[in-house]
Amino acid sequence: MSIQIENLSFSYLQPSGEKVDALKNVSFTIETGDFVGIMGPTGSGKTTLLQLLAGLRLPTSGRIYFNGEEINAKGYDRNRLRQTVGVVFQDPEYQLFATTVEKDVAFGLKESGLSRQEATDRVRWALETMGFDFEKVRNQSPLALSGGEKRRVAIAGVIARKPEILIFDEPIAGLDPFGRENFLQFVTERNQTGTTIIMTSHNMEALAEYTKHLLVLKEGRLIDAGATREVFTRLKQRYNGAFQTKAQRIAILLAEGKLMFSPAVVTYGDLLSALKQELTGGGRG
Amino acid sequence: MLVEGKNICYSYAFGGFSFALRDVDLNIARGEFVAILGCNGSGKSTLVKHLNALLQLQQGELKVAQIDVRNEKEVWLLRRRCGMVFQNPDHQFVAPVVEEDIAFGLENYEVPRNEISGRVRSALARVEMSGYEKRAPNTLSGGQKQRVALAGVLALDPEIIIFDEATAMLDPDGRQEVIKIMEKLHRAGKTIIAITHYVEEAVAADKIILMHQGRVLACGSPQTVLTNLDLMKEAELIPPFPVRLYYDLQQAGIYLNRCPLTEEELVEEICQFKSKI
Amino acid sequence: MRTLPAGQYLPGHSLLHRLDARAKILCALILMTAVIGASSLWGYTLVLVALLIPILISRLPLRPTVAAVRGMGGFLLVILLMNALFFKGETVLASWGIIQLSHEGIKQGFRIVSNVVLILIIGNLLTMTTLPTQVATALESLIKPLKLIGVPTEEVAMIISVAIQFIPTLMEATELIKMAQIARGARFESKKLSERAVSFLPLVVPVFISAFRRAEELSLAMEARGYRNAKNRTRRQKEPLALHDYAALTFSVLICLIQFLLQR
Ligand SMILES: Nc1ncnc2c1ncn2[C@@H]1O[C@H](COP(=O)(O)OP(=O)(O)OP(=O)(O)O)[C@@H](O)[C@H]1O
Ligand SMILES: Nc1ncnc2c1ncn2[C@@H]1O[C@H](COP(=O)(O)OP(=O)(O)OP(=O)(O)O)[C@@H](O)[C@H]1O
Ligand SMILES: [Mg+2]
Ligand SMILES: [Mg+2]
Repeated sequence: MSIQIENLSFSYLQPSGEKVDALKNVSFTIETGDFVGIMGPTGSGKTTLLQLLAGLRLPTSGRIYFNGEEINAKGYDRNRLRQTVGVVFQDPEYQLFATTVEKDVAFGLKESGLSRQEATDRVRWALETMGFDFEKVRNQSPLALSGGEKRRVAIAGVIARKPEILIFDEPIAGLDPFGRENFLQFVTERNQTGTTIIMTSHNMEALAEYTKHLLVLKEGRLIDAGATREVFTRLKQRYNGAFQTKAQRIAILLAEGKLMFSPAVVTYGDLLSALKQELTGGGRG
Repeated sequence: MLVEGKNICYSYAFGGFSFALRDVDLNIARGEFVAILGCNGSGKSTLVKHLNALLQLQQGELKVAQIDVRNEKEVWLLRRRCGMVFQNPDHQFVAPVVEEDIAFGLENYEVPRNEISGRVRSALARVEMSGYEKRAPNTLSGGQKQRVALAGVLALDPEIIIFDEATAMLDPDGRQEVIKIMEKLHRAGKTIIAITHYVEEAVAADKIILMHQGRVLACGSPQTVLTNLDLMKEAELIPPFPVRLYYDLQQAGIYLNRCPLTEEELVEEICQFKSKI
Repeated sequence: MRTLPAGQYLPGHSLLHRLDARAKILCALILMTAVIGASSLWGYTLVLVALLIPILISRLPLRPTVAAVRGMGGFLLVILLMNALFFKGETVLASWGIIQLSHEGIKQGFRIVSNVVLILIIGNLLTMTTLPTQVATALESLIKPLKLIGVPTEEVAMIISVAIQFIPTLMEATELIKMAQIARGARFESKKLSERAVSFLPLVVPVFISAFRRAEELSLAMEARGYRNAKNRTRRQKEPLALHDYAALTFSVLICLIQFLLQR
């Protein structure tokens, strides 16, 4: 399912009557089966964009098309939209609402037409995918979990439905390093079987290593978009420091020391292989 | 010792079998910068909630700044000296307007009225949230909330500051800023206790406490804890970037002189290695 | 998708915002008395027209209040029907067994609904232009006389102000939980009334759980940030009432008086 965004703008009405322009005239296209990362500083409109994409807010102006059909048009079947799009919110707290973890994850399966056994298996699969021991956690209250565990349950509740499009707002914040890798690995696998993935993150490594395309927001505007590697290389020139991967920063520091200079180093793997070449004498040195 | 804990055990289901903390000993000196690492559910938040007596001590002993956390009369004084930035900023807000929220803590300690607005404003300036005084906390973005939550604690200027994943939802710039604030507070003599999932943030700490399944697995300098692969594996954590690179290079037959912890150290080691061949 | 939660404080600089909180609370109470005292259509019209003045000068958006009234629509309808059908009136229009539709019943139903709606509007005007902390301080000084008979007035004021502030938080939580459920296939938006009604049921329990949860969090947060008791806190300055405060009070008293004159 391809997604097309045209001149999308969104303003929050502030209580005092003034407006906060959270998104300004954003346009882009996401192809079926893409893995898109959204990055940008705090308050740049990422969450707002995702909520619009999921059809949870109405744009102030502009249009959103799924497979050429406008989702906010009158006759559009919203229920079908809900079936195809799964969203995990930034704040897991309000996403968990059932009395037990098992019921919570099963919530979205009610109308999926699965038999009871199939549904239980699906819940087990989702929770185990997110690194839980199903038997241990199924009867716990989702609110009596640690911060990271809550987020994992929230994610499990959405992946259990196996939607065609998965939208994640800051999914790895609060996950431990293994949890992060596990999650990203899983998402990549889903992506390879055709699921479209859209994810915001403040973690440059996650974006650089896993996404295919990147959208960069700043103060509500789309300031860059393109293949992940290219965007990162461009960003290096635009910002100094923060919005770079560690590998990029190290490559720059090495270049200052007249060692190995390669603008193509973006990921850990890049750096490792460049260093191997350089330090075993195979390089220019 | 500023914080002295012995044999702390805690179970959320009181009297239950599952323990969130098991026999934890804790020693933190005045002015120390301590990082607490551990995987999800390892008991980090549970442990620090004991320090300001948000959770009641069930077993063991704990004294913070010479105050026994069980002493209900003095708990209030304890909280004046021990501020905490919550893991979820929504849990920390008590007022419907940003400036009111930051003033709340100040009013509790009877800070004179005429000082309050100045302190609120300077706290907001420190986290770069000036101009948001009149906003409702629930209309802020995730990162903005986290900054305001931090300002609420900074305004009180407590002696011990606990950061429970205070950078989880910040952008890289914001994270750098908060780390700088931590370091500045540390230099000013404050005791800092930081929980984080970004191993890199723990590198600057004086001491790392490594938690796993409610126990303290290790406690020591970043050098001894973070470069120990077996230990990290046991704690189900991934070592920092430079450490990983060091060991991966070793696999390829490249032996750097010593295991670097920071990016700068890594570059230095590589340059040294290069100059030798 | 989300409207502003009703009753939540909206910063502003209107005259209504600047009125002293004590005066505002008293005005609200007096006007509520006028509502309860109303006995005819004229009485209600009087209060409604009188309310237009503060509504206009406050320059508040009407949406949240309207949404709140609409949200209570079902509840109001039930009240109306209950009264219309079960009130034992004299002019019976129709009857089915114990159920009888009477003229007085319908009137009684409309009375109660009007009372609820008007009081809701007055309450909203107060809380939307007054900070909970201001409400607390004002209440504290208004109920100060009760101290003489041993009531811990500071605590009572604090409890009330926290409760006031809690309502919008709850509505916000409801809205967020609803959004999360919609995103996972709940049918709030469905055209079919039956589907919509059924989908509301799973909302009730989580909202209650979240309310208790939120209450617990709030008290933890207050404690963690040094709240001990309402007494040992920085005092807020008390300024004497200004001219516009007296004007507002006079206005409210006047409305109330006319109401009681109308009654006869
Ligand atoms: N309910 C709301 N009412 C008013 N303004 C809002 C509301 N929600 C968000 N905003 C504002 O809209 C802007 C964009 O917010 P958004 O949550 O989309 O940012 P974000 O990119 O997701 O940030 P973060 O990385 O911190 O989560 C911010 O300036 C924020 O203050
Ligand atoms: N309110 C609660 N009621 C019952 N059990 C709880 C509660 N909070 C946490 N737990 C459990 O206690 C254990 C430790 O939780 P804690 O919040 O201390 O973990 P943490 O190390 O902070 O994890 P995270 O990195 O995910 O924040 C977990 O197994 C969790 O499920
Ligand atoms: Mg966001
Ligand atoms: Mg925690």
